[in-house]
This record gives sequence, C-alpha cells and structure tokens, in this order.
Amino acid sequence: MEAKIQIKNLYKTYSNGTQALKGVDLEIKNGEFFALLGPNGAGKSTLVKIITTIVHKDSGELSIWGSNPETNFFQIQKIIGVALQENEIDPGETVENLMVFQGRLFGIPREEAAKRANLLIEAFQLTGLRRKKAGVLSGGNKRRLHCALALVHNPRILFLDEPTAGMDPEARSEFWKIIGDMNKNGVTIFLTTQYLEEAEKHASTMALISGGRIHYSGTISNFKSMVNKDNKCSLEESYLQYLDIISKNKS
Amino acid sequence: MKPASDFSKQNKLNTENLLMIKRGIVKLTRQPSAPLTGFGMSLFFLLVYNAGIGGIGSMEIFGAGGYLSFVFPIAIISLAMGSSAGAGQTLNADMQSGYFRRLYLSPVPRWILVASPILADTLTSLFFTAILILIGALCGVVFQFGIFSVMGVLLMSLFWSLTLCGFSAGIMLRTGQYQTAAVITNAVFPLIFLSTTFLPRELITAEWLLTASWANPVTYILEGTRYLLGGTSPAGFFYAGLIILAFTTIVSLSFALTSAKKIKV
Repeated sequence: MEAKIQIKNLYKTYSNGTQALKGVDLEIKNGEFFALLGPNGAGKSTLVKIITTIVHKDSGELSIWGSNPETNFFQIQKIIGVALQENEIDPGETVENLMVFQGRLFGIPREEAAKRANLLIEAFQLTGLRRKKAGVLSGGNKRRLHCALALVHNPRILFLDEPTAGMDPEARSEFWKIIGDMNKNGVTIFLTTQYLEEAEKHASTMALISGGRIHYSGTISNFKSMVNKDNKCSLEESYLQYLDIISKNKS
Repeated sequence: MKPASDFSKQNKLNTENLLMIKRGIVKLTRQPSAPLTGFGMSLFFLLVYNAGIGGIGSMEIFGAGGYLSFVFPIAIISLAMGSSAGAGQTLNADMQSGYFRRLYLSPVPRWILVASPILADTLTSLFFTAILILIGALCGVVFQFGIFSVMGVLLMSLFWSLTLCGFSAGIMLRTGQYQTAAVITNAVFPLIFLSTTFLPRELITAEWLLTASWANPVTYILEGTRYLLGGTSPAGFFYAGLIILAFTTIVSLSFALTSAKKIKV
C-alpha cells in the first residue's frame, strides 16, 4: 500500500526547552486504522499538531500524500479532518449553523453543506439539539459535535485525539461505528488515545511513543506477541509491560 | 459524499472572506455590548461636555459651530475606541472558546481569519459613527462642506478604527492571549487628554501640554475633523491627520496580517 503519511527524523523543542520529539520516524499507509499510543507527555499531541500544521517542526521531513503540509497547506487541509483534545466549537452558534458553516469554509456549496450537516447530525444523534446553541450542550454532546465538525468535508485522513473522552457508552459505540465505516470506505484514521481497549478493538496498526521517540511501530498483534510470546495478553497489559521495559532500559 | 477538494472549482474568489466578515457582523449584532458601549459612551461625552462647558462656545474662537461642533470629534474618536476595545471582538471570543483553532485548520487563508474580524468591527464602528453624525447634525453640529464633511469624518473614523482594531488583533495573535486585546485602547486613552480635546490651543496655558499636543497624533485627528465641521482649524491639520492615519492604518494592518504567520493557537 502507498504510504500516506511519512515522517522522517522529526525534531521539536519548545521555547521553554522541552524536547518533545527526538527524531521520530513513522509511516502510515493508505486506509490504515492507526493508533499512536504513549504515556502523558510522550509527544503524541505534539506529533499530531505538527502533522496538522498547528505547530512547526524544528527539523525533519514530513509528507502527506507526497506533499509537504507546511508548503501545501490549503490542499492538505481539504483532505484531512482534525478533532483534537480540546473541543473547538463556537458556543454562541447553533449545532446546525456550525455544521453548515464548517462545510462552507471548505468550499462546499450551501445546499450540499446543509445536506451533509443533516446526515452527520443524525449519525451523531444530535437531531434533537440541532437548534440549540453549542455552548449549552452537555460535555458528551459537545464532544460529539466537535467530532462531527471534523467530518463535514469528508476528509480522506482523519486525526482523532482522545475522541471519545466524555462520551457515554452508547455514544462511543455509535461513534466507533461511524469511524469504522469511514475506514472501510478507505479513510485513513490516525487515533491518539489513552483508552487502550478502544485502540485494540478498532485499530490494526500502532506506534508507541515515549520520551519523544518511537519505540515500536507495526501491527497491534505483532506488538502483543513481541511483548508476550503467547499473545494472550491484552494490548493494555502488553503496553504496560513494554513501558516498564523502556523505563528499566533507561535506568 | 464527495471530498471537499472536489468542490474547489466551485469555490468563488473571496467566498471565505465574505463568509467570515458576515459571521463577524452577525456575531456583533447578537452581542452588541462593545459597539453599543462605545456608542453610548460617545453620546454621553458629547452631551455632558456640551452641557457642562458648552457656554464658552459663544467665544469667537469656536466659530459658527459653537462648542458642540468643537467637541464632536472626541465623540467620533472615543466611539471607535469603544468599538475596538475587544478588537476583533469575534477574534477574541473565538480564541477564548478554542473555535479559532478550528478556523485555523480550515483551508481559509490565514490572513482572512485575521482581516475579517477587523473589517467586521470597523464596519460596525462606521455604522455607529454614521448614527452619531446624524444625531450631531440634528443637535446643531455644523458640517461646513456638507456631504463632503460627512465623508471626510467617516474616512477619518474608518482609518482610526482600522488602526486600533489592527493593533489589538495583532497583539492578541502574537501573544496567544485574548486578554491583551485591550492593551492598545489603554495605551491610546491617555493621548486623548494630552491633546486639544476640550479647548483650542489658544486657551491651553500649560506649555508642556501644548508641546505634548503637537507630538500627539490624536491632535491632528481632532483638529483635522474640526476643519471639516466648524472650520476652526486650518486645512493643513486635515491633510496631516489623513496622512498620519493612513500611515498608522498601514502599519497596524501590516502588523495584524504578519501576525497571521505567528499565530499561537
């Protein structure tokens, strides 16, 4: 499969001296459901922010579909969808208006944007709330809206950073069904999460980042069998064991 | 569903810009506290100063327009200051809510994200300036060149508003802190009192204040506007005021638009 996201030797140090990334290499292929795992402060969010051009890298190479996102920003923005950790919604606007406006920002004609907004509002079970202002929604519903907004322009690569935080089990289940369907239709999913059972259930490949370095990159089943030969442990157990090995190696 | 990239040819030039400006204006009309506060403050200043010291307007130095025409420019200046206090108010609110990051991640050019709230605020400020001019005219403010005076006042107000909004937006974007929006208004506020705001130069007795007023760009805006109203200042002030304002507008907008490249989201 063609590699959609290629990262080579990526470095990032923040102005306060924190070295967030120390030579990250990563390759994510077309249509993969990929999970980036790692403890807090490992560099996950920094990596996602660099790929989505929110943060600039210090050095290294980065390409999405063969294009540098920093120089081909507008083309790249049209094919990626981003739902970061913080809810990025306008609290004074209604659910429906926000969805339509989001589509319009991506150059989608009004009628088509409204049609897409309707589909997503239904899919994310926000139908009864469509005329409510986003600011009055519950935490879980805000999260659903936040994720739905990332999908209006039908992205080909979707970045999800802790997408189900705050959602109730039913909403989570619906959410993963939508994302799973998108993945089946060829959309590449780049997931960052602390819910390892969700990563294990939905993703096929993963990378483990710790201390700004990638320690493992490959399929989830390979990772589990690498840590435990019998491959009977869950991803969470394997992950914790592997982090333990990394910390022992460091010391 | 087709990906958004398939619609790129249907995306007319400046559609995003118009969408963003429209959004900015709609948001200001829904939460008009800043422009209404600016408008109310200006009207209050005008009425209070005219009522309090308007009696000296009979002095020859105030010309045919009297004190009301003399003090009217400060209402125009403070209106733009009030309206621009949170400039762009929309930008400010978007940064607070985190929505600005979503806009930042859309394919809308970043300069449009910065320019549109500035333009929305400026248009709102101009709207209230026009109402103030109408009220002023009804109350007896003299516009010595008629419609040309009105257009001149609106032009000065446009430049002044763009200057304030541009600096405020630029500072906010560079610091990534919405609280810094008011910095520029607070910085400009003392300049109003170091000028010929309430009395003509001839009646200011303190030498230091006279010297400070000459170095103060607000003086040229005030006196330039007075040339258009009661004609109590020479035309040179109007031209100097326009040049100063055009310069500050260019610097301010350049500062704001170059800040688009240094946005901290």
